[in-house]
Amino acid sequence: MSEVQTDLKHIGRLRQLIIYLNKLFRLFILQNDWKVLPMAAIIAAMVSLAVGKGLFKTMEGTFQGTFALTCVCIWNGFFNSIQSICRERAIIKREHRAGMHITSYVGAHVIYQALLCAAQSIITIIVLGATGVDYPAEHVLSLNVGTQMAQHGIDAASGGWVMVPQFTTELFITMFLITFAADLLALMISAIVHSEMAAMTVMPFVLIIQLVFSGFIALPASFSDISDLMLSKWGVQGLCVIADYNSLPAVMIWNRMSSGGDRIDVGGGVTVKDIMNIVEEQGMRDTVLQKLSEANSREDFVASVQNLAESWRYLLLLGVVFAIITVVFLEFIDHDKR
Amino acid sequence: MGVSDYFTLTGIISDLLICGIGYSLLFKKDGIKVIYAFIPGIRDYYLAIEAEREEDGKTFFMLDLCRHITAVMAALFKDGSRMETMWNMAGMALLLALFLFGIRIYISLCDVFVQKRIWTLLWILFPGITSLIWGFSPKFVPQHKTAVEYDFEKAAKISETTVEAIQNGLTVNLTGRSVMNMGRRVYLLKDIHLSIPVGHMVLLLGGSGAGKTTFLNAVTGYEKADAQILLHGRDFYNNYESMKYDLGFVPQQDLMRVNDTVRMTLNDMANLRLPTSLSRKEKRERVVQVMDKLGLLSVKSSQVGKLSGGQRKRLSIAQELISDPTLFILDEPDSGLDGVVARNLFVTLRNIADEGKIVIVITHTPDRVIDLFDDVIVLAKDAARVGRLAYYGPIGESYDFFGKKSMEEILLCINQKDEGGEGRADEFVENYSAGLEKITSEEKNE
Repeated sequence: MSEVQTDLKHIGRLRQLIIYLNKLFRLFILQNDWKVLPMAAIIAAMVSLAVGKGLFKTMEGTFQGTFALTCVCIWNGFFNSIQSICRERAIIKREHRAGMHITSYVGAHVIYQALLCAAQSIITIIVLGATGVDYPAEHVLSLNVGTQMAQHGIDAASGGWVMVPQFTTELFITMFLITFAADLLALMISAIVHSEMAAMTVMPFVLIIQLVFSGFIALPASFSDISDLMLSKWGVQGLCVIADYNSLPAVMIWNRMSSGGDRIDVGGGVTVKDIMNIVEEQGMRDTVLQKLSEANSREDFVASVQNLAESWRYLLLLGVVFAIITVVFLEFIDHDKR
Repeated sequence: MGVSDYFTLTGIISDLLICGIGYSLLFKKDGIKVIYAFIPGIRDYYLAIEAEREEDGKTFFMLDLCRHITAVMAALFKDGSRMETMWNMAGMALLLALFLFGIRIYISLCDVFVQKRIWTLLWILFPGITSLIWGFSPKFVPQHKTAVEYDFEKAAKISETTVEAIQNGLTVNLTGRSVMNMGRRVYLLKDIHLSIPVGHMVLLLGGSGAGKTTFLNAVTGYEKADAQILLHGRDFYNNYESMKYDLGFVPQQDLMRVNDTVRMTLNDMANLRLPTSLSRKEKRERVVQVMDKLGLLSVKSSQVGKLSGGQRKRLSIAQELISDPTLFILDEPDSGLDGVVARNLFVTLRNIADEGKIVIVITHTPDRVIDLFDDVIVLAKDAARVGRLAYYGPIGESYDFFGKKSMEEILLCINQKDEGGEGRADEFVENYSAGLEKITSEEKNE
């Protein structure tokens, strides 16, 4: 070829995206990336054993359980992609110089990781179900659709409304969005740092920040703005909303008082336990638990479409922001030093 | 604490005067501009350069800057408030990092000045007084001068010559390539003018730090220089997006996904680099053709990670060769290969050049394959430590020009004396430049 190759058309972003997507699926098998799937099952089983008993049954159990599930999702997401870009940074640089579009490369990763996160979420739900976690029959969208139908004089139980999603569908969407957003956060970190070691050093820091600002730990009001940027906050909110947290009984105080109430004398030889016995004899236990539950209820956990949509919207928005930042950082890959 | 309290008068005086005077005396001993000693932050960076720890100096500078920012931020909040505490904690963390980097720099400084490392402690506790002692006492002298302020007087003069563009080959007219480093412009390359016709296989020779890779990056447009690079008369920089497919650059490392197969690696590269006008069948045929040419057919289904060093290198070359580029550049393709494998590889490169390509190769063992090359580009560091062109021309004539019998000897004679060479780079740069000027003026007269 003696002439300079110019003005020749080369494949565009979409075709490149397909090439990279093929490559990623090929490497899923060849590179043993599939290991993240059984790992997700093992983690789900362990969490189920630890917090599964009270999950979706009591207020406290649900709060702890949804926090644990959020942590599982964030961990899965982080682990999926924390090294995926930094480990082949020099290769990306070479391919970028050879004509690869960064948007295609990141786009392929986003699609591939989305499928991986979806698979992990399904596995987690199946394992939780198989290890004894009872999923509630009612769910936010059906509750709200049911209310709407009742307002319009339609009987929701009369059938013909099978398109109303199940609880597990809502659980899947929420868990998928948490995992996917965490995955994209890790992908962004992987694009910013220049080595696998740096990525693995940064990861625990980011994880701790996510846990501290999740809302699980009581924080001063001044930190609420920071919490809004955390996947963990929106993850816990989404899961508590679909679990209808506010309608669950708050049993922790009752149980603690039951076990130690006979040692607390409230005067005249009457113990707390005696009072509790009277409450039980009069059939007011459930009323007391309901009152305790009301005292612990939270506005952001109300089982409404608005709250659920807010949680999903923020998770999606954060994921999109992370993906954009990933592209921006990788566009400068040619400036990497030798 | 108010913002104004942070910048106390005593702090400024102690910083500017005691440390300033001490550092300036030290810098004077090493040929560094005295003015830097009076600029807080910058002076620590130059002290790190004096200690031969420039990268640590940069980090130290950035950490120090961040520490000052945290101090100012803390001062903006109420005493005892949570935010003040947070900023102060961040400042403490930075102070710890500064302390560790400081230790590294001071230990190195002791080594450069051939002093006991116990001085490190004094540097950390009393930098002002210690710098005064080191500055005033004639006992404290660096082992060798730091390469910060070079001897520009002794460096070979810059020629005004440029080479005529050739229509069938590569023309390089590079005036300079520089980078900004902590506010100062550092030249990496200067005054390189040459043209390489198609069909030529060219050796790029130069000592460590002579700018070989910088030169290649400038030619390929990866790191643009103040230059005009023409390939068959077309400006490479201005038409980079359309011309990049006509360039093959094989990096020193084998940058490939080790878990992918040989055929799929090449298939993907073919899809990326070949034009859409080619059918899928034609692209597949091209992949087979390139695998055949580089002896990869027998391992086409193997994973890249399972290939031998030579096979991996050939695959790396195949990735670039797939688009049949006119300009083919290889950065140490024989690194890690034994003599026979390396020789076979260069024979393959010779064949590629014979097909009407331009092949430019960096290698550290040129003499074993020198018969395969047509020309040699010799880059050398001048007295100002800038990469300059000491020679470009046929291999045979290069021996006469330098008065040497091998490429290794040529390399030794152009390397600086502190690198174990003869330090004659500037002499040859001037001689070559003069010769080029003469030829150019003769051509103009004709």
